[in-house]
Amino acid sequence: MPRVSDDVVIVGIGETPVGKLPGYQPVQIQAWAVQNALADAGLGLRDVDGLINLDPYAIPNSMFATTLSEYLGIKPTFMATVDVGGTVTGMTMLQQAVWAITSGYCEVAVVVYGENTRTGRPENTQGLFMHTLMGGEEWEEPFAVQGMVVPYALVAQRYFDQYGAGVDDLAAVATTTRAHALLNDNAQMNKPMTVQDHRNSRMISTPLRMLDCSLVSDGGGALVLTSRARARALGACPVAIRAMGMKMTHNSIAQLPDLEQFGMADAARDAYESAGMGPEDMDVAELHDAFTISVLVTLEAIGMARPGEAGAYVRSGATSLGGRCPVNTHGGLLSQAHIGGMLHLTEAVRQLRGAAGRRQVEGAKRAIVSGNGGVFSVCGVAIFEAA
Amino acid sequence: MSEFTYFAILPRPTVDSEEFWAGCNRGQLLLSKCGACGHRFYYPRRLCPACGSNDLGWEESAGRGTVFSHSDVHVSFYGPSWESQLPYTVVLVDLDEGPRMLSRMVKSDAPPVRTGDRVQVSFIEVDGQKLPFFERA
Repeated sequence: MPRVSDDVVIVGIGETPVGKLPGYQPVQIQAWAVQNALADAGLGLRDVDGLINLDPYAIPNSMFATTLSEYLGIKPTFMATVDVGGTVTGMTMLQQAVWAITSGYCEVAVVVYGENTRTGRPENTQGLFMHTLMGGEEWEEPFAVQGMVVPYALVAQRYFDQYGAGVDDLAAVATTTRAHALLNDNAQMNKPMTVQDHRNSRMISTPLRMLDCSLVSDGGGALVLTSRARARALGACPVAIRAMGMKMTHNSIAQLPDLEQFGMADAARDAYESAGMGPEDMDVAELHDAFTISVLVTLEAIGMARPGEAGAYVRSGATSLGGRCPVNTHGGLLSQAHIGGMLHLTEAVRQLRGAAGRRQVEGAKRAIVSGNGGVFSVCGVAIFEAA
Repeated sequence: MSEFTYFAILPRPTVDSEEFWAGCNRGQLLLSKCGACGHRFYYPRRLCPACGSNDLGWEESAGRGTVFSHSDVHVSFYGPSWESQLPYTVVLVDLDEGPRMLSRMVKSDAPPVRTGDRVQVSFIEVDGQKLPFFERA
């Protein structure tokens, strides 16, 4: 089985405020997140010799790792800009950092993503406006498919028809996630949501309503990694990356495989095998939730619920704080902010440090994090453990 | 609904797809067929995604298939000028020959399409390019 490395650990996490950061450009937001993560780690910019980031989607930049390094006044010996897709990119950035450190190219690496997706988008834009091409345009745009909602709506409708699921299953995810966001001071959404609120929200692309869709957010998140030895010297409370699994099956919605063939199940199996663990060993889960349907499909793929039963599993309270394995304790992309999954990673670390305050999962030792880019096109699963 | 005016972002054909879009203009839905392994695929590209062979030809699809999934779009992602199109129905269709394809349903007074329904291709012309939409079979 592939292994990440036991010799490198996460020693710092940083988040900027999320929501609207008017006037801020991507480089400023990423620098802010990096400074917060370094302060959390007890390190300074002079310690950083590795930097890995994702360039903005809304207005893409070239050479963004060097742009950010220059802005920060650092001169790394390892740098990369990584774009694997959506919320998997953060995991790939962690992999790159681990391997750069274990092979001696750097000693302290920061991974970061953030941009002004919300205030930086053009006026009168629906959803996430991107100047970035994603490769499937010739086979999508002639049929009026643009953006991510319609593709996920097609997944949701198929899921409904295959398993007899329905709007109540989506609503359960939306309301559970909102309840968690209310316990997070750094969340865009701060009002409770009822099942009726969900049902009353505007239909976007059947069966997905407004409250099934993730937020469009300004903000950034960063993590700092270093060797176990250096972490000991820092006196940090480190978190280990026990395992990671990844699988790509397709790119655009036009090439969507059957639900049973999504790569998330393969990614989860590889991660569990690599860690020598199973779903029953996980205390908390931070799962890709660009749309409510994503959580249902992922809960089944990672073995938390049987096929078609994820909605009932969520309604049982298993994914709520106090439940069997709470999901998206920070409020997720649906109700905290959509920062490309970076805040799923920082939240997992926070939970394993026992530092999540009002939303702490008691005694959390192991966290599972999932990401997906595109439409379950590339899937990643990571298992973190208190080190 | 014969007076309905369809809006579409037209494809910009590439060396891979020129023949496909020309086929649409002749009223043919063309699939790529691999001469080495027999795999039929959509969309066209310079190699067979099943075996890597460059020995490729075209085969006309009967244009019939089964709905894998569908969604009615209620929001314009292309600005206010597209609101005349709403709602429109996007479908994933499993063609009888094998490939799955993304398309859009022809505007119709017929009952809404459901997963598992049979559909057939119907070419809709927008600004000189015929596009392979679908209608109930």
